[in-house]
Amino acid sequence: MKKKIKKIVHNCPYITALLGTWLFLTAGGIALLIYRGHGEHDPKTFWEHPFFAVIMEQEIHGSAGSASKVEAAMAGADRPEKSDGDQNIDKITKVTLDETGDGPSGIRQTGNVREKEADPDRAEPDTEPGLVREKQVRGRTIFATYTPVETHSIYYTDVGEVALTTDYPYTTVGEDYFEDAAFIGDSRTLGISDYSGLDADFYCENGMTIYKMFDEKGIVYQKSGEKVNLLEALQQKKYGKIYIMLGMNELGYRDTNYFMEKYKEIIEQIRALQPQGIIYVMANLHVSEQKNNNETEFNNININAKNDAAAKLADGVQVFYLDCNPLFTDDNGFLKADLTFDGVHLYADSYTVWKTFLMEHGVIRQEDGKAEKKS
Amino acid sequence: MLFSSTEFLFRFLPVFMILYLSVPEKYRNLVLLSGSLIFYGVGEPYYVLLLIFSVLVNYGIGRLIFTKEKKTAKIVLILSLVYNFGVLFLFKYWDFVAEDLNRLLSGEKIPILSLTLPLGISFYTFQIVSYLLDCYRGKIKEEPSLTAFAAYVAMFPQLIAGPIVKYEEVARRMKERRIRIRAIESGLKLFSIGLAFKVLLANQIGTLWNHIMTAGAGNLSAPAAWMGAFAYSFQIYFDFWGYSLMAKGLGRMLGFRIPKNFNDPYASRSISDFWRRWHITLGRWFREYLYIPLGGNRKGFWRTLFNLFLVWTLTGIWHGAGNNFALWGFSFFVLIAVEKRGFGKWLEHTKVAGHLYVMLLIPVTWVIFAIDDMRQLGHYLQNMAGIHANGAIVGGTQVLRYLKEYGVLFIFCILFATPYPMKFYQKHKYKWYTVLVIVMIFWLSVYEIMMGSNNPFLYFRF
Repeated sequence: MKKKIKKIVHNCPYITALLGTWLFLTAGGIALLIYRGHGEHDPKTFWEHPFFAVIMEQEIHGSAGSASKVEAAMAGADRPEKSDGDQNIDKITKVTLDETGDGPSGIRQTGNVREKEADPDRAEPDTEPGLVREKQVRGRTIFATYTPVETHSIYYTDVGEVALTTDYPYTTVGEDYFEDAAFIGDSRTLGISDYSGLDADFYCENGMTIYKMFDEKGIVYQKSGEKVNLLEALQQKKYGKIYIMLGMNELGYRDTNYFMEKYKEIIEQIRALQPQGIIYVMANLHVSEQKNNNETEFNNININAKNDAAAKLADGVQVFYLDCNPLFTDDNGFLKADLTFDGVHLYADSYTVWKTFLMEHGVIRQEDGKAEKKS
Repeated sequence: MLFSSTEFLFRFLPVFMILYLSVPEKYRNLVLLSGSLIFYGVGEPYYVLLLIFSVLVNYGIGRLIFTKEKKTAKIVLILSLVYNFGVLFLFKYWDFVAEDLNRLLSGEKIPILSLTLPLGISFYTFQIVSYLLDCYRGKIKEEPSLTAFAAYVAMFPQLIAGPIVKYEEVARRMKERRIRIRAIESGLKLFSIGLAFKVLLANQIGTLWNHIMTAGAGNLSAPAAWMGAFAYSFQIYFDFWGYSLMAKGLGRMLGFRIPKNFNDPYASRSISDFWRRWHITLGRWFREYLYIPLGGNRKGFWRTLFNLFLVWTLTGIWHGAGNNFALWGFSFFVLIAVEKRGFGKWLEHTKVAGHLYVMLLIPVTWVIFAIDDMRQLGHYLQNMAGIHANGAIVGGTQVLRYLKEYGVLFIFCILFATPYPMKFYQKHKYKWYTVLVIVMIFWLSVYEIMMGSNNPFLYFRF
């Protein structure tokens, strides 16, 4: 017997090494699990590749510093095709529709967002004299409601309303407006950085989320190409405006309530660091009809839920919500197919349209001492 | 189930191998067949029935061809070809043709079926047809048992993406095969190398191609467009070659010899040479079952030209129902026809010119292959040629950044596109350091797979 094993090992060093390492990694994974002492692991990941499951979760979902162990344990259940029968489902509070659903209902088709009401934000500011004549104008964010559809996901529910760009007498500004602006975001913000031609401080990278933007690992500062600690960067430099657009890579992580809580914390942190800065919360761009999938968490209902949550943080004084979706989506709220290759990101030449939109939506504070130019 | 998934690597394969090795030899074909059907059925729970049906029907046809005299056999053969290609046509080409005809007739005269394509149908249809034709030609001496035939068609290593194996290549092993532990060892090594090609090279360089296409074919400067073309050329090569190597390795583990599908195609010096080295089993299929029966190049200039045209157009649309695939195949017809007039000989003799010619033309053909929207394709090719209608927003800054991000990867891709690494492997494959390196790249590949599968937004990470 001993001889036989010896012969096998001799003849098949690769198989031996592979089985050995596999065993080692498995044992290591189990040991790590016991050491960390929480039994909340997805059992499926556990027996398949425990070592990697333990190590990888934090790699992938980042936030090694901020995420609790429960979150780390849940990360294993994030794969979209396996969301059924998830053991964590009862731990998540679902967003109830009663929280938000007031006002008349609009039209709702599956996966479509359509605003039935007149869009107040697209009206000229001067048509609302009550707002303009005040010295300290306060913006107002309006939510258009519609009848929500039923969803079966632990990540989101249909909120039944669409947030519109904060209603405010915006000023059309020049490119110099962005000289003291910071942009924070994911791959789409990277697109603005790359292709819009705006000269600002861009803190963005692929796959960025609100959960990891303040991580010690940092975020890529596009001017240097290096990772920087965003908290420190915001401490060191005063910005006149901070544009933030995040939420896409968060679609399949926890639910909308959790997202909103975290987003709120982020905005509070930025406010504390940049009390003079105007914060623009930008809507996440919808996905195309082809990419939209109501079977997964990857759809415009979910994106809208995240946008809606973000928009609620706009106070119209320091924080404003900008929805660029009307620029790029069709009547059903889908990203137009001829503007995108992957159904998620815009072609490079569309970012100039986005830039124009941002330039048309400048907020200029009286106390900044700048002359207010009315559009 | 994909080879490059943890389900396959850590569930299916170990369980299957243990079963396969522990049953007596006479049940191995049955285990192989059931394992293959499970492998296929996990991804295609309905179309597995179509596969089983096709196997049964074609086994019956094969039996008729075997037993009936030549005249009847011929009729049966023709009917079987109509059936097999008919099914393939229905699933793969119906909508494409119907849309074109409807446009021509300006109306919705022919219904659009919108059927999803059964996985691997192009491959197994060709394999079945090769079996029937070989039966008819008397190349298969002994009629296989139903299990052996079914196992040959459905064998999971090559079911989904080839290589297209001929029955005579596995006939002897289907009857009896000894499993040698050394064969499992070397098969597993080959499999791991293939996996690494797929996961560590193809998938990685593929993100650059996606990145460039995301910026939009119309917005590219010429250097960016060429960079994308090279990236895609490497992606498709390591993807497909990796898959073929994995199939070959698995085949060896099971006791079969699956033929080589790639022979350093990017080191060729003419397009004809390229196609002798790229997807060899497909080229062989078209040559043996279409080109040569049509008379090949022995029936005069015009007939040869027509034969080439037919073979290459069909090769094009075999890869997919789309105008770009037809154009892709047609471009090979033109190139190879030109080369046949002597240009190819000259290229193959002049080292530098031949390599340069292949290196510049092949990426262009892959762009045609990759972009199925003809307008986008037009933009892309224009930008490659330096005619920037749209301002070329994706310019120097981006190209430099891509170079910084993907430069090292490009170097690896270029290295592995040459014959040297595999030559080195063949020479040193029993050395301890080779084993160590393969163990390392195996777990590195697994790590990459985990990164992808655990993060549903891999596609977002750019």
